[in-house]
Amino acid sequence: MTRASSRWIAQRLAQMLLVLWVIATILFLIFRLMPGNPLVAYIDPNFTAEQQRALVHEFGLDLPLWQQYLLYLKASATGHMGQSFFYHAPVAQLVWETLPNTLILTGGAVIVAYLLGTAAGAFFAWRRGAAAEGIGIPLALAARAAPEFWVGMILLAVFSFSLRWFPSSGTASPGVQYASVWQQLTSPDFLRHLALPLATFVLYLQGLPLLLMRSSMLDVMEEEFVVMARMKGLPERRILLRHAARNALLPVATAFALVIGYSLGGDVVIENVFSWPGLGRLLVKAVASKDYPLAQGAFLLIAAVAILMNLLADLAYAWLDPRVSYAKR
Amino acid sequence: MRAQMLRGAFVFAVIAALVVGTGPGRTQAQASRQVRELVLVTWPQAADPQQYEAARIAAEGMRKLGLKVTVRPMPWEQLSDYVWYNRQKWDMTTWQMVGRPERSDPDEILVNLFSSSTAKDGYNFIGFIDPAYDEVAQAQRSATDPERRRKLVYEAQRMLAEKQPYTFLVNPKSLYAYNNQVWDPKTIVDQKGIGIKNFWTFIQATPKGAQKDMVLNAQDPVQAINPLYISGKVDSWVTELIWDRLVRIGPDGLPRPWAAAAYTWVNPTTLDVTLRSGMKWHDGRPVTAEDVIFSFMAPKGAKVPMYKPFVANIAAIKALNATTLRFTLDRPQAAFLTSTLGKLNLVPRHVWEPMLQSLEGKKENAESLQERTPIGSGPFKFVSWTRGQEVVLEANPQHWAAPRMHRWILRTVANVEAALGGLRNGELNFLSDYLGDPQVLVRLSRQDPRITVVASTDIGFQFIAYNERRPPFNDPVFRKALSMAIDRTMIRLVAYKGYGVLADSPVSKALEFWHAPGLPQLPYSVQAARDLLKKAGYDWDSQGRLLYPANQTETLEVAR
Repeated sequence: MTRASSRWIAQRLAQMLLVLWVIATILFLIFRLMPGNPLVAYIDPNFTAEQQRALVHEFGLDLPLWQQYLLYLKASATGHMGQSFFYHAPVAQLVWETLPNTLILTGGAVIVAYLLGTAAGAFFAWRRGAAAEGIGIPLALAARAAPEFWVGMILLAVFSFSLRWFPSSGTASPGVQYASVWQQLTSPDFLRHLALPLATFVLYLQGLPLLLMRSSMLDVMEEEFVVMARMKGLPERRILLRHAARNALLPVATAFALVIGYSLGGDVVIENVFSWPGLGRLLVKAVASKDYPLAQGAFLLIAAVAILMNLLADLAYAWLDPRVSYAKR
Repeated sequence: MRAQMLRGAFVFAVIAALVVGTGPGRTQAQASRQVRELVLVTWPQAADPQQYEAARIAAEGMRKLGLKVTVRPMPWEQLSDYVWYNRQKWDMTTWQMVGRPERSDPDEILVNLFSSSTAKDGYNFIGFIDPAYDEVAQAQRSATDPERRRKLVYEAQRMLAEKQPYTFLVNPKSLYAYNNQVWDPKTIVDQKGIGIKNFWTFIQATPKGAQKDMVLNAQDPVQAINPLYISGKVDSWVTELIWDRLVRIGPDGLPRPWAAAAYTWVNPTTLDVTLRSGMKWHDGRPVTAEDVIFSFMAPKGAKVPMYKPFVANIAAIKALNATTLRFTLDRPQAAFLTSTLGKLNLVPRHVWEPMLQSLEGKKENAESLQERTPIGSGPFKFVSWTRGQEVVLEANPQHWAAPRMHRWILRTVANVEAALGGLRNGELNFLSDYLGDPQVLVRLSRQDPRITVVASTDIGFQFIAYNERRPPFNDPVFRKALSMAIDRTMIRLVAYKGYGVLADSPVSKALEFWHAPGLPQLPYSVQAARDLLKKAGYDWDSQGRLLYPANQTETLEVAR
């Protein structure tokens, strides 16, 4: 790595921090502007004025707003992220407990969707006009357009309630515990639980890489170097994989960050359909119950993941296309 | 030039007239007798179709009295904030009380919902002020003779029926289901006003075959498993199994001795409690009188805020010997057995004393303490908790009322349809949380004979609350007319699909001992309601809009 490129990366990291700070500030304000009040979760016939005051004090809501803001920035910067109002537990602990499940589901879905999507996109471009394309493209479009909660319910109805091949909710059978993430990932019970949410997620995500890859491939195949390769008499497979597909991948790689953002939205819905104990469900509950620290923490973490993925996509771009170098920018 | 100026002046005059014209128009409306547009807030249809539908039908009836009524749905978080923290602002809201075993005693509902003392910042958010009622409600609280108390509870209900602080809609039926191939139906207990999902079912349900684990569902995740924190409703299902209490509310809705072998009132402020012998904590140490005293005295400090109101009346607890405790109260408290002895969890002093001490000088309280392995003395022991997924408990064979099942597994299932599907395909064998359409569940049980559905009338009730700080709701006659103009039978049949009984009191008909017989029923009749208003001096204008009585004018803006 050259000095210029390491300087570029340092610059990007500094930008990331700035963006995170802006997001943190917006999050802080937005949750306080929303109608509602974190105390309403405690309304009960025995709820006294004394208890209300005690809660306000405990939550730190009796401090001036600027002081709350500074405390929040400090808590976020140290990674502690405060204490959840709703669960009365540290936000960092709640988030770290659920994050692996979300990463496995979204990460797995993005990878599978990308592998399948780009491969199918390349294939459909290569076989332009064939019957496979005539059937495949409308199917891919339909799967992409269908709302993910609906696809999830259909898969549940068919494969879980009727055929009973897969369980309908959670990450494990009743009473099953995993000692480690690795044990979880390799357990057949977990994989059976993962199958339906992952399938729903892949159907939701595959459209973008597939269509992008296909149109990009169609462009590339018109290029002179492909014609040149043909003239050299290279085998079709080699032209497809080594020459056309590699170049066609560039815009698909750029879109990766976009898909990550897109997948975070889908994650919230899919986690609810399949009762998947992840960050998405934690987030929905936190927003609904005005659990400011938890909602802020969870959103901030998601934002950090999305920004990091953007950076990775940029780095991957340079790796895929040697013409791009950081130093020139 | 002059013509231009004239034209300019004319335009100015027109604009000024328009501006001024709208000004006095409003003050005129303020000085009129016409009742303003009234706003009924309710849940969004998607979140609670029953309350939303009930609000729509109720508003229709009110309009027949010549009122302009707007139904405004709001998400629950916003609605509760509006009703609870903006007590001067709102007109009417749909609301509900949910059934809990402790509410089998009417004290909490009669006192906390309608006392003038809770009008400012407690549960009397409607601002119902009636000194005569306060007196009766307080009198039943200290009447330790059950018969005398019952008379007072009846009287309080009659006063409420007369004053109509709420329009009582229905006591909904709670619906639960189980797999009758897994659980012996003879061992499923239907608790009065609670349904089959209750403590007694959990300790008595007997497996028929190889499946010995009960797998249940809840829509909301478990927040905390903490005996000193009253958190979500689901959490209480777990805590009441791990931690024992001196008294439990029996299937008949009345308190019965539990960890206490017996109790006797020495006088109205002195209660002697004999502990059951041989009780053990889940870590093997014996349950002592000191543990019990600690359990009731710890909330008197500052670190257990939610249980504090329940022990406020305890002056002292003394151990007379190793198994007998003497509770001394400040004032007589008739519901003490249910609302305090039946409410507080017995906690091991050796676990909680050091934990509470670690909080000294800190902002946090006992609610933020989560034991890694919760230790109680109840019929179930804690096994594991996977956040957002499940809580696993196992039967405690050393307990004197050891459960027949092997494990009790509560799964978090966020999706109602998935819960139903899970019951069908065997992933669940007890449907303990179902907020969907009752007819769907009943149809399912008809198709699948393995599934038994039990519907039972709930302690909880649904109602429309009127903000009595804002005229015309301060007038009992007006409220009574509203109740008569609302077709509550239609609400029962359409909004609740018949799964409910008409309510006439905050005390549920399921509580046969406490519910007052012969309360006025206020049958649906728009004509009778109009006659009632007419007699009280209300009138109608030429457009048919309701007018206040002659000496009264509208003073309020439309609720925002």
